[in-house]
Amino acid sequence: MKSILLNPFERYTETQLIIAGILFTAIGCFLGYFFNCRFDGVLDFHTHSNIAIKQPFIDNGVNIVSLFIPFLILGKYINKKTRIIDILAVVIVSRVPLYLLSLINIGGGVTTMSKEFVGVNPADIQLNPLTIVILLIISIVSITLLVWFITLLYNGFKTASNAKTITHKTLFGVAILFAEGLSKYILSIIN
Amino acid sequence: MSTPKLPVSCPSCSSSLQVSQLSCPECQTQVSGNYPLPVLLSLTPEEQDFILQFFISSGSLKQMAVQTGKSYPTVRNKLDDLIEKIKQLTPEQS
Repeated sequence: MKSILLNPFERYTETQLIIAGILFTAIGCFLGYFFNCRFDGVLDFHTHSNIAIKQPFIDNGVNIVSLFIPFLILGKYINKKTRIIDILAVVIVSRVPLYLLSLINIGGGVTTMSKEFVGVNPADIQLNPLTIVILLIISIVSITLLVWFITLLYNGFKTASNAKTITHKTLFGVAILFAEGLSKYILSIIN
Repeated sequence: MSTPKLPVSCPSCSSSLQVSQLSCPECQTQVSGNYPLPVLLSLTPEEQDFILQFFISSGSLKQMAVQTGKSYPTVRNKLDDLIEKIKQLTPEQS
């Protein structure tokens, strides 16, 4: 079970992974639409009041492309035998935990809370204990899902490219940051 | 009773072991000398098994992946690591 959650790339074929990844991506996009969430960057997630159905699909499409390009280049640099299909499977499947983030905005609670805080001086914000507990839970869940995403991405990339050294790990970190910048740039042009 | 494993490295200093004595189980003739272990015997039983499977599946990594229940890149990485190890064991051939 642990290997399925943290490193499915070691066991499952690229076809199985891509089919599962596309399915979960579609579900994730619909979750984003239903709970008014945007995935506006590889490492970004924001709640909104009302979003069009096409928006989560555009966001996730851009995020997948933005991750795929640097990781394919890096994979080929590390190991010429790295296959395009393996990198694509890694990128699609690793984003699945981030789609679960939409569930924190069931009923629009996070959107309502955000509106209360926007434009208010942080020193003037009065939080009741229940809000603090909710914010704490949301923070822990968000960080856990983000760590899960990066773990899947790292394990998958390691399997796809046979990355091993400290230099490879450092370049992996650089590639994520580059992907984040690229996704923000592309989304700023599209929107 | 399981087959005893052939030790390939010294339990004391971890250096590679060499063959110093061979004996005939039929007539008890013994041959003494100092012979290096063949490269394949220097590998672990798991690595030897991997090479055997690779040979039996006609070098098809895809077929090996199906047989072992692992993904293609996992099997390919194992093969690449094994090639690297064998190159280190036989520096004169690489």
